[in-house]
Amino acid sequence: MFVAGSFEYNLHLELAISELEKKGIPRDAIAAFIMDSRVEERKILDTIHRADGISSFDAAALLGTFLMLLGAIYGFVLPWGPIIWGIIGFITGSVLGFLGDVFIARLYKRRDSGGKTGTNKGKAVQVVLIVECDRARESIVRDIMWDNLALGVGALPG
Amino acid sequence: METKQPESIRNIRRPIGLVSTITVNFFHLRNPWVTAAWSALFPGFGFIIMGSYIKGFLLVGWEFLINSQAHLNTAIFYSFTGQFDLAREVLNVRWTLLYLTVWVFSIWSSYTLTVDLNKLAILGTREKSTMVPVAIDAMSINFLDTRQPWIAAGLSMLSPGLGHLYTHRIPTSFFLMIMLIATVYYSHLLEAIQYTSSGAFGAATLVLDPQWLLFIPSLYGFAIYDSYVNTVEYNKLFAQEQARFLRDNYQRPRFRSRLTALKRQEEA
Repeated sequence: MFVAGSFEYNLHLELAISELEKKGIPRDAIAAFIMDSRVEERKILDTIHRADGISSFDAAALLGTFLMLLGAIYGFVLPWGPIIWGIIGFITGSVLGFLGDVFIARLYKRRDSGGKTGTNKGKAVQVVLIVECDRARESIVRDIMWDNLALGVGALPG
Repeated sequence: METKQPESIRNIRRPIGLVSTITVNFFHLRNPWVTAAWSALFPGFGFIIMGSYIKGFLLVGWEFLINSQAHLNTAIFYSFTGQFDLAREVLNVRWTLLYLTVWVFSIWSSYTLTVDLNKLAILGTREKSTMVPVAIDAMSINFLDTRQPWIAAGLSMLSPGLGHLYTHRIPTSFFLMIMLIATVYYSHLLEAIQYTSSGAFGAATLVLDPQWLLFIPSLYGFAIYDSYVNTVEYNKLFAQEQARFLRDNYQRPRFRSRLTALKRQEEA
């Protein structure tokens, strides 16, 4: 029979595999499916002149830093002093930068998806492990997967 | 005649990164305008972002020396607040002109280096280069792992350098901590925070030194940004390395299910 578990990339995944092998599942009875996600594909297609998916932080950090600088400068001549105005500048700049980038990202997304909406929320499955074992070992395999942070586990009787 | 390079050489030619005991240095795609902008805010930061530490440290040290000797930050402060005569007066012309060429160079060079490193990042990924994910020696241990980007950003917000300690980027962390001590001390920042908290805004303004205070926004912004981005990229690198391991070892199953058994019988 087959037992399948879905995982994210982390050290627990390797712990699960090594534990399965220790419990007597041969290496060639374990198959790992590497799941591509649509988002990843788009990132690879980005040109080298564009950042890769982290750009919602780029503008926030840069604008936040810049307005913090202006806040600290003009704080010397404004009523509350440079500290308060520096903090106000930082928060204003970060929020503005973040909103601006989210807005731009949305424009790109609409263009790329060709009008299709609908996004995957929650954790994306990154690896699916499929293990062939006899019925007696099913619960052991299931337990090993659950103990190592599987997102979901299922079996196909046979 | 066909000659083919073995895979081991191809991985060495176009590496994707290196785990060493003090940091993980690796290629990933970056926006060249962003690294150029960091270099404009503080020469050298663009290079530290890219992992080009020696250049980065050289330029950051240079910035501290020339800026503080020329009183450039104080002059910027006077100019922005309309006190142009004071700005003219405070600038030390024995140092000021040194600033220009190196400042422009660091912006330009950050941009072009990012474009070049992006090419290497793409080549390394296409070659499916792999790396050893753990480094250990007598004094230190480092390994690829998945971490929370917001913890790195939050720690950097509390104290620049801590976010980089969390992700084990020792050179950046060490440098940020030294810079923090120097700028906080000479700008009288902590005294000003004390005064501001108790509502004595006038005293806070008086005690602060704009020459050193103007370094602080770049320092904080950079620490938060760099630790966040690196954590995100470490996570991607971890996934890339683990996927490679799984592909190499767990993608040739020989399932003995009834279906394959039947198929083999038919073939026979």
